[in-house]
Amino acid sequence: MSDKLKRFAHNNKQPLTMLAVIVIMFVVLSFTVQEFMSYNNITNLLSEVASIAIMTSGVTFVLVTGGMDISSPSIMAASAVVGVYVMTTTGNLVLGTIVVLLVSAGLGLINGFAIAKLKMVPLVVTLSMMTVATGLATVISGARGLPILPPAFADFFNKYTVIGMLIVAAAILDYILYRTSFGRKIYYIGNNQNAAKVSGVNNDLIIMSTYVISGVCAGIAGIINTANISTARASMGPQSQILDIISAAVIGGVSVNGGKGRVREACLGALLIGGISNVMNLMGVSDYYTTLIKGSIIIFAMGIASLRSNIAEKKGA
Amino acid sequence: MEKIQSLELKNISKSFPGVKALSDVSFSAYPGKVCGIVGVNGAGKSTMMNILGGLLQPDEGGKILINGREVMIENPKAATELGIAFIQQEIQVFDTMHVYENVLAADFDKWRKGKNSLVLDRKAMKKEVQKHLDALGSNIDVDAPVYSLTVGEKQLLQIARALSEGGQILLFDEPTSSLSDNEIARLFEIINKLKAQGYIIFYISHFLDEIFSLCDNVIVLRDGKKTGDALISDIDKEKLVGMMLGHMVEGNARSGVRAQSEVVLKAEHISGVRLPKDISFELHKGEILGVWGLLGSGRSELFNAMLGIDKMMGGRIYYRENGRLEEISQKKLYPHIGYLTEGRHYDGLFLDMSIKSNITSSDIGRFASKFLGTLNTKKEAVESRSLMKQVNVKATDENMIVSKLSGGNQQKVIIAKWFLKDPDILFMDEPTKGVDIGAKAEIQNLIFEKSEKGMSFVIISSELEEIMSLCDRIIVVYEGRLVGEVSKADFSKDSLMKGIVSQEEKHAD
Repeated sequence: MSDKLKRFAHNNKQPLTMLAVIVIMFVVLSFTVQEFMSYNNITNLLSEVASIAIMTSGVTFVLVTGGMDISSPSIMAASAVVGVYVMTTTGNLVLGTIVVLLVSAGLGLINGFAIAKLKMVPLVVTLSMMTVATGLATVISGARGLPILPPAFADFFNKYTVIGMLIVAAAILDYILYRTSFGRKIYYIGNNQNAAKVSGVNNDLIIMSTYVISGVCAGIAGIINTANISTARASMGPQSQILDIISAAVIGGVSVNGGKGRVREACLGALLIGGISNVMNLMGVSDYYTTLIKGSIIIFAMGIASLRSNIAEKKGA
Repeated sequence: MEKIQSLELKNISKSFPGVKALSDVSFSAYPGKVCGIVGVNGAGKSTMMNILGGLLQPDEGGKILINGREVMIENPKAATELGIAFIQQEIQVFDTMHVYENVLAADFDKWRKGKNSLVLDRKAMKKEVQKHLDALGSNIDVDAPVYSLTVGEKQLLQIARALSEGGQILLFDEPTSSLSDNEIARLFEIINKLKAQGYIIFYISHFLDEIFSLCDNVIVLRDGKKTGDALISDIDKEKLVGMMLGHMVEGNARSGVRAQSEVVLKAEHISGVRLPKDISFELHKGEILGVWGLLGSGRSELFNAMLGIDKMMGGRIYYRENGRLEEISQKKLYPHIGYLTEGRHYDGLFLDMSIKSNITSSDIGRFASKFLGTLNTKKEAVESRSLMKQVNVKATDENMIVSKLSGGNQQKVIIAKWFLKDPDILFMDEPTKGVDIGAKAEIQNLIFEKSEKGMSFVIISSELEEIMSLCDRIIVVYEGRLVGEVSKADFSKDSLMKGIVSQEEKHAD
């Protein structure tokens, strides 16, 4: 029994340390920050984290192939704006929701096609996509912005639905990446593209799919954010959000060089980062300080992650 | 620095936790002699060289004497100061810099114009480098950018660097592994020149032919012990191999004519972007077909173009399926073949992944469930283990990370990977490159075994002897073209060289 426990601990070192950090943080906060441990705040926190966590999960697929996607928040905003536009003009909420997913998948596909087929540099492609998608959202929402949606939408996607969506999406995505042959091929590509090709993996197709997955995840996040404010705006996917997403993934042990990381841990990373924002909000820290403090914490955490992998490497040699 | 008259190693041992890498090894070396060091992978050659190079310290009780005086080689810098220089197996140069900068890269400080000057005295630097290049009989331009040099010339730079640092004891570690035949001949000339000038030279190699043509004496290591120390004139190849392995290896014989069995693959007019040009051949069931040519002849390019790794510009491929030989696209062919590439690290292995994941990568779909594609990791482990046993991979278990294995074992993992797929045809580009004699024999036997069971092979090898002992038939390529075909009965170095020589003569006209 204890042997089994040991092996379990050894194989799950990364998520367990992260869980420990999160638990410690929560315990400390429950004593220092009033209201933090209240049922309301925790469920609020989870639903707030949901959109970032789902986007992080999608971007993790791209990162594991050794790629990069910084267009995720912009795709989120653009697909939501198009969807809300359809909802308010047709009055059909279901159709609009489907449109959100289709648009996000389409924008992801454009990313994927340019990167996998045209062999363009991922950073350049997704940087361009970021500005194009933001531009698209701005044009469609217009100067006066889009109208408010009927309450049925926010009622359906209430915070419990959203938490459920996060858990289900994270579980499914973790399963796909870690347990299926499709996921294994993603790791092969991230580890050694050339060897993957020789082994018979269709690199182009798999890489393209990861950008589509990242796009669809951004779409789901767009639905969640839309329900939150009952409309959609270009500004709901600020470009700085990508920093939160990438750092959540890296804190969760995803390597930006590809080949390493899991959705499960990336989501815990998102929870950690979301938790920090939430706490500062509760303590009434001003927005200016929030970004400053958050940035410092992220650099600190990433420094530790990098130090740890350096040590592991030395041990290996 | 005084002239080194002798180097003696006495009772050198080196223990690592759990392993004794060297035990009680003694030998001596003198100027004007080339001393060969041989042994299978893991015999202790590298440990020996690392001790001489100052990277490792011997256990207590061992002594190193230069000119009869005991010396301590505490670090690589101390080794350089004593006149010991390494010429590494992997050629390390600064590609975008000039020749003279490369040669003197170790100590730029020495070449400042004045004591406090920030400016380098380039004229003096070039003069110094020219001196060493002249001594090596080379006509490389000191001003040339290094990326414009050939591999052989780059290696020469490393030798010049060793000389410029005052090296008197030169350690060559597998220097020919990336050189073409012409370049090897040049290197040997240079080593002989250095020998005549009174350097002490150590030469490590897997290629026994090189040892016999170059060395004056040879030291054999096995499991960390010295098992042989002889003048080269006193021994022959068989004896040397005996010292290395401890038992005699049997030459493999293979009988039967496979060229009469049915054709499984037919390539017509295969052309790549630059190489190859218009190559056609047939492959029979169970046959081992060799592709022989010099480095740069388009051997690997033939495989890459034909199998769709690179672009194929022209040609047709026919494959036997359901009893009929029919034209097939590269994409449809790929599931039926395996391709062991030349670059073990470049496109052979997933270095940071487990042995298991590497082995199953050739046919990962087989382990996936139909509906969700869920991987059956238990089945993966079981099959990987059985293949590791079959090809004799030495590792703690199937979850070990591949980068931690030795070169020979990594190569076996790649072979296991393709045996898992069990293709009809296996293409192999240098299947035994950088692998020691023991593993080499094992790999060759595995190839024989599989071919008896009907697997067909197409094999590239730079080693004439290997390709002659392995193959049933050999096609010769030169500058991307097919210039000859030799069947088993006519195998000889002459018959293979003839195709190439006649082409070179045509060129000369």
